[in-house]
Amino acid sequence: MIPVRCFTCGKVISTEWEEYKKRRDAGEDPRVILDDLGLERYCCRRMLLTHKEIIDDLNPYQ
Amino acid sequence: MSGYKCARCKQKVEIDINVRCPYCGHRILFKERGAGIKTVKAR
Amino acid sequence: MDIAFSRLESEVAKFVLSESIPAFANSFRRTMISDVPKLAIEDVIIYDNNSALFDEMLAHRLGLIPLKTNLSEYKKKSECSCGGEGCSLCESVYTLSAEGPCLVKSSDLIAQNPDAAPVTGEIPIVKLEKGQKVVLEAHAEINTGLEHAKWQSTLACGYKTYPVITIGDNCDACGHCADECARHVLKLAKKSVEVIDGKLIDCSMCKLCEKACVGSGWEDAAIRISSDNTKFVFVVESDGSLPVKEIMTYALTDLKDKSDSLVDVLTNISGAL
Repeated sequence: MIPVRCFTCGKVISTEWEEYKKRRDAGEDPRVILDDLGLERYCCRRMLLTHKEIIDDLNPYQ
Repeated sequence: MSGYKCARCKQKVEIDINVRCPYCGHRILFKERGAGIKTVKAR
Repeated sequence: MDIAFSRLESEVAKFVLSESIPAFANSFRRTMISDVPKLAIEDVIIYDNNSALFDEMLAHRLGLIPLKTNLSEYKKKSECSCGGEGCSLCESVYTLSAEGPCLVKSSDLIAQNPDAAPVTGEIPIVKLEKGQKVVLEAHAEINTGLEHAKWQSTLACGYKTYPVITIGDNCDACGHCADECARHVLKLAKKSVEVIDGKLIDCSMCKLCEKACVGSGWEDAAIRISSDNTKFVFVVESDGSLPVKEIMTYALTDLKDKSDSLVDVLTNISGAL
């Protein structure tokens, strides 16, 4: 799961993940999306840029 | 003592001497979650 | 001492603190970060959880959710009349029960007191597959950022000294400094370079312009960057649990109370001698 807050500054960034993922998969430039979402510091930007969702890979192993 | 579950055939297993599923022979078992209520600190 | 706001919203404030000293600016910053109390989930009682996340992980995620805080409504647990056991005066209770397949969000966290609900209902907590289930109860309490970062109500909270750009008479308007400036603070005028109106505050004092000026042949750079140690440019951001204005006023009152009590202690000691 996407971390709730930015590790460095503590801004809540998990709320933007769904929209970021949708628009990124649609082929939009991540820089434009992040600017749109109002993430101006590079600490918050890297949280979304570098995130890989693995919960669906974990779920079968119960 | 809480029971175990076989990782392959998902059946409930009791461990006696060997760690092995009596139904399919698989050697990987999961420990089942206990029935008790667990309190954790959110830190 | 004077504060002039260039921006004041409920979640962001930018202001210039003038006629002050670095010691005050820094203690103000530190008080805002670590001494302003707010609500955050501390104890989580888990009845059932067979999701892909461990109980501790789930509890940690819950703890980071910002909760709307009314400081007059709750007391710190250690100062409460219940003696730290937990009562309605020092604790806010939430329940969560969800069954998959679904995405559990912070809006599924049902608060007993709607005034202390999560700031936003859109925070994903855990994704559940079919047959997975999470049932839990969470207790939030008031504390400060000194104890744990989840009780810290400010995000980006910092200051810099006010930049001063002096352009000497020996400037030949070559424009190298304006090209070099990363924040686009300088522009080329007829006889020399000038600071663009309202852009001075953006100067990061990196001194690239000084280097460019020396590089263009002058023995002594015509442009000099220094800082005014009595003026401070502040940025304060809130996570939404408290408005920035309340954070600032609380921090200032707290600072005042603390210095007053120091004075009291000092007079007591000197009186006793």
